[in-house]
Amino acid sequence: MSEIESTQTQTHQSTASQPSQTTNGESDEQLREAWTDHAFDGDTKLAVDGLDVHYGDDHALKDVSMEIPERSVTALIGPSGCGKSTFLRCLNRMNDRIPSARVDGSVRLDGSELYQEGVDLVELRKRVGMVFQSPNPFPKSIRDNISYGPRKHGDIDTGLIARMIGRSDERQERQLVEQSLRQAALWDEVRDRLDDNALGLSGGQQQRLCIARALATDPEVLLMDEPASALDPIATSKIEELIHELSREYTVVIVTHNMQQAERISDQTAVFLTGGKLVEYGDTEQIFDDPRSQRVDDYISGKFG
Amino acid sequence: MSFIPDFVRGSRSGLREAVDHRARRARDFVDETEPEALAVVTIVSLSLIAALVGFLLVSALTVVPISAFLVAVTYGWIRHQEVTARILTLTTTVSTLLILGLIIVFIFIESVPVIRYESATVFGVTVPGLRMFVETRWDAVSDPVRFSMVPMIHGTVMVTLIATAVAAPLGVSAALFLSEIAPPSVREIVKPGVEILAGIPSIVYGFIGFTILSPWASSQFRLTGQGTYLFVGVVVGLMALPTVVSVAEDALSSVPESIKSGSLAVGTTDWQTMTSITLPAAFSGVSAAVLLGVGRAIGETMAATVMLKGVPRLTDPLYNAFYGQETLTSIIARNYGDADGLQMDALFVAGVILFVTVLFISIGSQYVEWRMKRQFGGEV
Amino acid sequence: MATFGVGSRLGYVDTNPDRSAGLVAAVAAGIPWAVICGGAASELLGFGTVLAIVAGLLTGCLVSAATAFSREDIGSTVPLGALSIVTGLVFLTSVLGPEWVWSLGWEQPASLTAEFVIPIGTLLNAMFAGWAASKAYGGFGARGRHVGAYVLVYLNALSIVAFLFVLVAFTVVRGVPGLLNGAEFGLGVGPATTIELAGFGFTFVWPFSVPFVMNGVALLNDFQGVLPAIVGTIWLVVGAVLFAVPLGIGAAIFLTEYAEQGPFTQAVEIATNGLWSTPSIVFGLFGFAFLIPRFGNSKSLLAGMLTLGFMLLPLVLITSREAMISVPDEYRDASAALGVSKWQTIRSVVLPAALPGVVTGVILGVGRIAGETAPILLTMAGGTFVPGSQTADVIGGFGFVASPPFVTNPELLQATSALPYQLFALITAGVGLGDNVANPDEFRWATALVLLVVVLSFYAVGIATRYYFRRKLSYE
Repeated sequence: MSEIESTQTQTHQSTASQPSQTTNGESDEQLREAWTDHAFDGDTKLAVDGLDVHYGDDHALKDVSMEIPERSVTALIGPSGCGKSTFLRCLNRMNDRIPSARVDGSVRLDGSELYQEGVDLVELRKRVGMVFQSPNPFPKSIRDNISYGPRKHGDIDTGLIARMIGRSDERQERQLVEQSLRQAALWDEVRDRLDDNALGLSGGQQQRLCIARALATDPEVLLMDEPASALDPIATSKIEELIHELSREYTVVIVTHNMQQAERISDQTAVFLTGGKLVEYGDTEQIFDDPRSQRVDDYISGKFG
Repeated sequence: MSFIPDFVRGSRSGLREAVDHRARRARDFVDETEPEALAVVTIVSLSLIAALVGFLLVSALTVVPISAFLVAVTYGWIRHQEVTARILTLTTTVSTLLILGLIIVFIFIESVPVIRYESATVFGVTVPGLRMFVETRWDAVSDPVRFSMVPMIHGTVMVTLIATAVAAPLGVSAALFLSEIAPPSVREIVKPGVEILAGIPSIVYGFIGFTILSPWASSQFRLTGQGTYLFVGVVVGLMALPTVVSVAEDALSSVPESIKSGSLAVGTTDWQTMTSITLPAAFSGVSAAVLLGVGRAIGETMAATVMLKGVPRLTDPLYNAFYGQETLTSIIARNYGDADGLQMDALFVAGVILFVTVLFISIGSQYVEWRMKRQFGGEV
Repeated sequence: MATFGVGSRLGYVDTNPDRSAGLVAAVAAGIPWAVICGGAASELLGFGTVLAIVAGLLTGCLVSAATAFSREDIGSTVPLGALSIVTGLVFLTSVLGPEWVWSLGWEQPASLTAEFVIPIGTLLNAMFAGWAASKAYGGFGARGRHVGAYVLVYLNALSIVAFLFVLVAFTVVRGVPGLLNGAEFGLGVGPATTIELAGFGFTFVWPFSVPFVMNGVALLNDFQGVLPAIVGTIWLVVGAVLFAVPLGIGAAIFLTEYAEQGPFTQAVEIATNGLWSTPSIVFGLFGFAFLIPRFGNSKSLLAGMLTLGFMLLPLVLITSREAMISVPDEYRDASAALGVSKWQTIRSVVLPAALPGVVTGVILGVGRIAGETAPILLTMAGGTFVPGSQTADVIGGFGFVASPPFVTNPELLQATSALPYQLFALITAGVGLGDNVANPDEFRWATALVLLVVVLSFYAVGIATRYYFRRKLSYE
């Protein structure tokens, strides 16, 4: 089924009027081989193959294939509406929330397929955490925000019964909260008011809290959907530093529309252009200094987008 | 942060300012409007006031100001549509408030005589109406004639408790289903179903309860006679169910999608997200829904009237829900026909109790909803 | 099921249990055990009430504790499984035989009989067992609780829909015989209707005759019917709509478009919401005290219309206001920027955009008041059986007189009947109906059916209108 889909898509693409010019006259297919053959530093964490996404009749993502190496920062850039957020949401199957969305193709996490029968979404999302575009802390205390995930997974139990039988994990909870907040560089700012409502924090603090919340479940991959777009420059630089730190332990995939940001923080960069196509993907330096696609060059130098 | 300062203190301090503001606006309005249009406005307002007074005094001459009003409005509509439209809409708003005012005034006035009659003396102080709430005897015929509200209040409380026990859990669960769980196609069937449930006339529920449930309950529980609070409560609960469902569903869907996604993204099940995030976040809205359902249950009349015994007394023991005597609503519907004098006034007392209780519940639920809106509108 | 739980504990089945089944499960398991043991202590062992309650509570707490403090796979299956087994045994071994009766010994006698306890007990058991089983099916843990909860929520939604279906179907089945009593179909069997048009009279003969909805009640009728009540209901609705819709929409316009948002609008909002939740019987009392003395001191159609109008008013106001608020401000700004005056903007931009919401609100509101009994009980009720000659003819009733108030309409000031009231009267009349109607029970059910059809058709139209507008909007 998905094979038919993708062939159809490809014929569709070749008949499309969009010229596929590259700086040295290569076709889209050749470009694509350039990155599928390229050996990135580190083992492959996520392997995407022929991913197509439809929202109803709208073809949001067309035949995307790429490999994301572990313990690195991969930036997804492109103009708005190019499908980069859609792509990100495919990596932890958050698109399942949208009734009209249909996903074809394959995404493998450490070699195991995500889009098949019997995949435990809960288990998947424990391994692949996500930080959203605008901060979305729960209307609970800071502490509860952090320990929410582990509590729901049953890793930490501070409930009434647990306290009655003397197996409450309050100490572990304290440690986890402190550790996660420290990782998110928020600990010093909130250590004295862990029981305050998280909605009272500033926007930047809320976003770092959301990062800490995602880290508390100890994920392997961290997806970030324009995490700094709603923040002021100071908060943004804090988040960027943080992302850099995180890439030592986690595989970070970040969507951004800010090219300077992508250039500053990422190891690899993937450029999506209008129409839901991945046009070029490679090491960040190469993409920004010497893009092979003419359109990517235009986009990066600000000629369109 | 709290309700009182915003609503009362704030408006009190701003009252003077507001009055000045209004006066200034009124002056501006007079200055800006053409004299002819102003005349129309004056005639419209005066004739309306005259018509109201005439109506209140039961005068046949009321028709004169009404015709004056109609003529002025027609003329104004042709010549000064802008001003007339404004005045007309203002009139309709004032009438709405007036209706509420008239309801309050009239049912209170009618209930005064019996409240005087039922005065009781406590520590040498005469408290009007007190005896209606300390004794339990209702007897309009034989001496001593007494109109105690206690049996009816007891009945209403019993019915409302049972109804809430039915409507609250089922309603909240159905609301969760509709707003969080159901796939769109199922939702399209269930939601109109719930709305239609709200549309079934209460007398039809009452009729089915009367012909099917009551006789059945009577034989099941070996009761003497028919009519049990238990089944009235269940029926009334089913009738209050749609109110709970639709209001709770609104509250649940107003919880921002972003925090639901946030919870799912840390790897929780849908059910955990609902119980730990969505329900607590929508807690005030959901409780407003339950409150409104309680209000409906208190005010439900016909099912109670046809299913209850119609003998105002307490059940024995008090928690004996297998017997249904009388509620505040049903005593009105049952006795209005042959009541006059004090007994009719006593029915108005029942009406006043109902009105005041439900009004408080309505205001309470609005406050709760208002707080929820603030939580998501103001701070996030 | 319990075996599955034990199997899981011993490691034979691969599951993912939490350390504890949780508070909810503990309470849910404790309550039925408390009830059973309390009941058993009181009934079988002959303990007194206090002792029985103590025994019940004690068992309940024990079971709760056992549920809470054992691992989830044991805690959520074994107590509930045992419950099923015990109740099954009790019912099967005839400890609770069909003849079992437990007199509660109250002043007003009431007893629990086996006929009641056994089905209810079985039902509850099935629910508990189903819940525990679905938890087990989901492999316990978060996923198991998810499955368990979904089963219950789906069950609830399903039973609400089923309840609605059964209710309507039941009324239809019981009502149709009475409705079709003496009904004939075919050309020329129905009553003749004459339409006067430009001096010519066209006589049209209905191709069917359903006496129940075409006749009143009269001594000589072969089949009695409820025509006056149907006509009364229609006039009531028309009157209420004529009164409430202009008022409600006007007030909504003023509140959204003219008034400054502040304490005044807030007060009106609180007042309308208060008015909306006011019990219908209170509206009836108000109509009784306020309207009746002003309309010739007797119950009348006009008083009923206005009372229902008062009830409809807040609903129209609230829904119209919501519809108008949801019209985007850009429309208003765009119109104002073209130099169009405020009222013109409201008339040609705001009202058309808000129309779908207003229309739907009005129709659903009408459905609500058409079935109301309590207010008209006190303001316009007529007799139990209304002769066909009393069918209200409002339009023909207008007349002019020389003295104030110049316009009279005896039809409006006369009591007539309406379907909901007629049903109420038929119920309360009880015995003695047989003199007038051959089969009173059939007559009642048919009345209920006609009422249901009238009210539900309003709802059907309202819901269909909403879908129509929604689809139109989504394709635009």
